[in-house]
Amino acid sequence: MKRRDFMISAAGVVAGSALLPRMSFAAEGVIDWYTSSDTNILDFWANTVKPAFEAANPGISINLVDAGDGAGIIAIGERAMAAKEQGADPQADFFESGDALLPSGAIEAGVYTNIKEAGLSNYAKVNPLAIESDYSLPYRGSQVLLAYDSTKLSAADAPKNWDDLVTWIKANPGQFVYNRPDKGGSGGNFVRRAIHQANGLDPSAFTVDNYTEEFGNEALTKAWDILSDIAPSLYDNGAYSSGNTQSIQLLSQGVVTMTPVWSDQVLQAISQGVLPENTGLVQLQDLALAGGFTRSIVIENGVNRDASLKLADFILSEEIQSAILTELGGFPGVSWDYVSPELRERFADIVPTSIPTFPGGDWAGAINDGWYRNVAPNVDRNS
Amino acid sequence: MTDAAPAAPRPLIDSNDSRRPHGLLLVAIPVFLVAWLVIWPIINAIGRTLWRPDATGALGFNLDSYVFFFSDQYSINNLTITLWTTLVCAILLLAICLPISLYLRFSHGKLPAYVQAMAIFPMFVPSIILAYAFIRVLGPNGMVDILLNSVGLPKIRTPYLTPWGAVIGLVWDNIPLTVLILLSGLGNVANPAIEAARDVGANRFQVFWHIILPRISNSVLVAISFAVLGIFSSFTLPYLLGPASPEMMGPFMNRTFREVNDPLNAITQAVITFCFCIAFGLFYVRSVAHNQGK
Repeated sequence: MKRRDFMISAAGVVAGSALLPRMSFAAEGVIDWYTSSDTNILDFWANTVKPAFEAANPGISINLVDAGDGAGIIAIGERAMAAKEQGADPQADFFESGDALLPSGAIEAGVYTNIKEAGLSNYAKVNPLAIESDYSLPYRGSQVLLAYDSTKLSAADAPKNWDDLVTWIKANPGQFVYNRPDKGGSGGNFVRRAIHQANGLDPSAFTVDNYTEEFGNEALTKAWDILSDIAPSLYDNGAYSSGNTQSIQLLSQGVVTMTPVWSDQVLQAISQGVLPENTGLVQLQDLALAGGFTRSIVIENGVNRDASLKLADFILSEEIQSAILTELGGFPGVSWDYVSPELRERFADIVPTSIPTFPGGDWAGAINDGWYRNVAPNVDRNS
Repeated sequence: MTDAAPAAPRPLIDSNDSRRPHGLLLVAIPVFLVAWLVIWPIINAIGRTLWRPDATGALGFNLDSYVFFFSDQYSINNLTITLWTTLVCAILLLAICLPISLYLRFSHGKLPAYVQAMAIFPMFVPSIILAYAFIRVLGPNGMVDILLNSVGLPKIRTPYLTPWGAVIGLVWDNIPLTVLILLSGLGNVANPAIEAARDVGANRFQVFWHIILPRISNSVLVAISFAVLGIFSSFTLPYLLGPASPEMMGPFMNRTFREVNDPLNAITQAVITFCFCIAFGLFYVRSVAHNQGK
């Protein structure tokens, strides 16, 4: 082989290997942070939490990464478990939103930090109703509301309970839309509200470990009947938008009159002018639409575990908890006693007395599969 | 220097055997990557759906998940809508792109340059942006509706959240590649051949049918195969623009895997999708080989 040819081949090999994925290592002092939440949460962290935390803690910075959705967070949790087994670096320190029970076995494997015993100075302020596990930290909440166009529907006529809502949907065909339950929590919790409706308005009937195929079929079939019944009166004879944002888009374009929305997302949409100032918000009074707290998780075997605990403590501070109310439109993870009286006064309307929740686990899969098989197709769209 | 013999010019195609090893070395990396990231997962997926433990835990040959797929009306509907969408998109793409490329090939001046830029433009638009733009323009109360309304016409029946929504998005997204491939094929059509045909009295259609089409049939095949393979497994556009049900295989697989937490059926759906794609692929390879053999 001639020297020139050899040089060309060698250059090709070097160029090719440069394109192979390179090994990367987590950096000390840079918290690898992941979220499964919508863009408004990512913006809130990028514009509010990150600058405040980095100013208060020189030498520590946060690397904000969007993991996409819940499954994305679980995948990174699995990676942390695999890294723990091999004594490797998980390249993850903090989950903005996670379920301590998923991936299953993460707590037993010692991948998630026990936050209760980590000695956070603000932990005692956390709303006890919101605590689900010692391994996750509820730091913000939001609930699903019904948003409506108040030029077409007056506040006095807005439905206040489920039966009124169904009557209204049927009396105004094409004016209501909810998104596919797996593609966003606003539609997902609307579907869960229908499940509550079909099963005696008792959220405690469903727990994270009481799913069986028999009970699931019995409880869910009744809910599918309710939802199939209203389907022909929905937008476009039974179309379902593909996410929280798309529902808001249909409302803002004046296509529908009412849609379920996340409280934080709709308040932000109103403040940004995506929805008009006079957008009406209403919560069902017989049983609220389900909502929940977002819980953060600290990775025990992360390189920046201690810095992440500082961050966990920081997001419970009055500064950030107030910003969650004023800038995010969510509600705080700490008890209301720890929120300034002035803010308590101002947000009296959205302060929930109770937030019904619906468990995840096997129920989520059953609901996602069942809805697509039983509710989505049962409509003749051409009629 | 004067007595050195002039070196023979290097032939265009070098048949010297000694050059072969480093040629192989250069293709080794892509081949290795394809084997590692594509071929191995395919074999793995087929293996994991066919050889798996049954109810008693004994490992064995098991076709259950495939039997379930083909006996489940919901899955069949999803497969049908995928085939329908692919077929409709392929027909529409040919109907739209062939005239555009013929125009670009046989006209001169400034206007064709603008048309070409327009036709290639979708290549630089990410499909998620396209989807939201589509909703704003063709969606309910979108720009088209506003324009129609301003001249007193009724609103359109919006294709948003219907199978046609996905079709329109996918066709627009695939125009650039199809036009480029057809255009390169049209480069093979010699002007003298067309002029000769015109001289003996062939009309435009006869020129197209007897002179142009036989020369570009290979490009048409390549263009359609590329489009079909991309459309069959597309995700973003059918997910954002199509109906909740029936859904195309891309969103269906993703949902089964992530939301229903059912990897076995998701892999089965992937293997079935792959079998359809490989059927299209083999058809294409066979035709190309057949053409080259002539």
